[in-house]
Amino acid sequence: MNSNLNSDADYLWDKTGEPDPEIQQLEEILGTLRYQPRPLEIPAGLHVDRQRSFFRSHAAPLAIAATVAMLLLGLGLWLGLQRLQRSPQQIVKSPDTPQVRPVSPDENQNAATAASSHQPEQKRIEESPRHRVNPSLLVRNSKRDRNTAVKDQQLTARQQQEALAARDQLMLALRLTSAKLSLAQRKAQSTNPPDLIHNQHKIG
Amino acid sequence: MKLLSRTLLKIASVKLAALAVLLVLGATTTAMAQNPRIETSQLDGLAAKASETVDVNIDESLMALTTKFLSTKDDDERKVKELVSGLKGIYVKSFEFESEGQYTNADLESIRSQLRNPAWSKIITARSKKDGSIEVYLMHTGAQISGLAVLATELKEITVINIVGPVDLEKLTQLEGEFGIPELGLESSKPKRKN
Repeated sequence: MNSNLNSDADYLWDKTGEPDPEIQQLEEILGTLRYQPRPLEIPAGLHVDRQRSFFRSHAAPLAIAATVAMLLLGLGLWLGLQRLQRSPQQIVKSPDTPQVRPVSPDENQNAATAASSHQPEQKRIEESPRHRVNPSLLVRNSKRDRNTAVKDQQLTARQQQEALAARDQLMLALRLTSAKLSLAQRKAQSTNPPDLIHNQHKIG
Repeated sequence: MKLLSRTLLKIASVKLAALAVLLVLGATTTAMAQNPRIETSQLDGLAAKASETVDVNIDESLMALTTKFLSTKDDDERKVKELVSGLKGIYVKSFEFESEGQYTNADLESIRSQLRNPAWSKIITARSKKDGSIEVYLMHTGAQISGLAVLATELKEITVINIVGPVDLEKLTQLEGEFGIPELGLESSKPKRKN
């Protein structure tokens, strides 16, 4: 019994020993279902959708597009910055009631006319112990078309008025700048007396 | 092999994009840092308190227009024209008050913080508790001056001057008392410092 069991077990394990008819029958039945190597056949009518990530599949064009976009953004920023620097601010000076306000074209015209009478205004500045400023000098640059290049083209009357007013502004700015620089220079020199250097030179 | 080359191309594209972004950011930052125009609009609020206000804003286009009206025949105007030619802007804000303490340190700090940029170098500082102070800053582009800023404060006055473009400091300083520009004698009314 034991040896029969062992021989059955051997047949069952590695097909050695005495074959068991029942097992053989089972083998025949189940053998039809055993693995048979053959190439995979995909049905012709089957469509496989490629579900790849959009960003992965278009990485290179997207990177180039992002580069171009960043360059455009940078260019836009730079141009905006340049434009911001040129944007005029409209401020008018009034000695009694100081305020900041825009100037209308009519006011600008009046101011330009006043600015053209330059002599009495300058006299007043000379008389003043400090730099009192004539209000007529502080006309605002009215809005102008920055795109119109000021070259050899014919200047309009309005542009001439603007230029005259701006010339007075320019002179005023130069006056103040020059005065402040001179003062700074004098103060700096007074803190470094030249005698000290002179004496050192003598001793040396 | 084909897959490897495509992967390498993708990596290169991404790196290129990152490099471009860095370049754009760097260029923008540098452009902002090297800008000799200083922002002074934050001082506009002082105009309401001031008894005297000077506000001059001459940008490049207006400067070009203005120089057309400076005669080349007249010596004085020709010299002024030479001085301002090439300048891209002159901006001045000056407020004079009836009483002391009308402006604050925060007002000054808003200007000084811009001038602390390494592109600016302070060439003169004259301080006096009684008379106030004057600070003169220059911005250089290579060997050339590309901007000037002056911050002058007194007890009842604050002045900010900003010149954009190549400035001839010597000529500018010599302007006072010449070319029909009166000697303002700003220092004559004040006692001189003894050192």
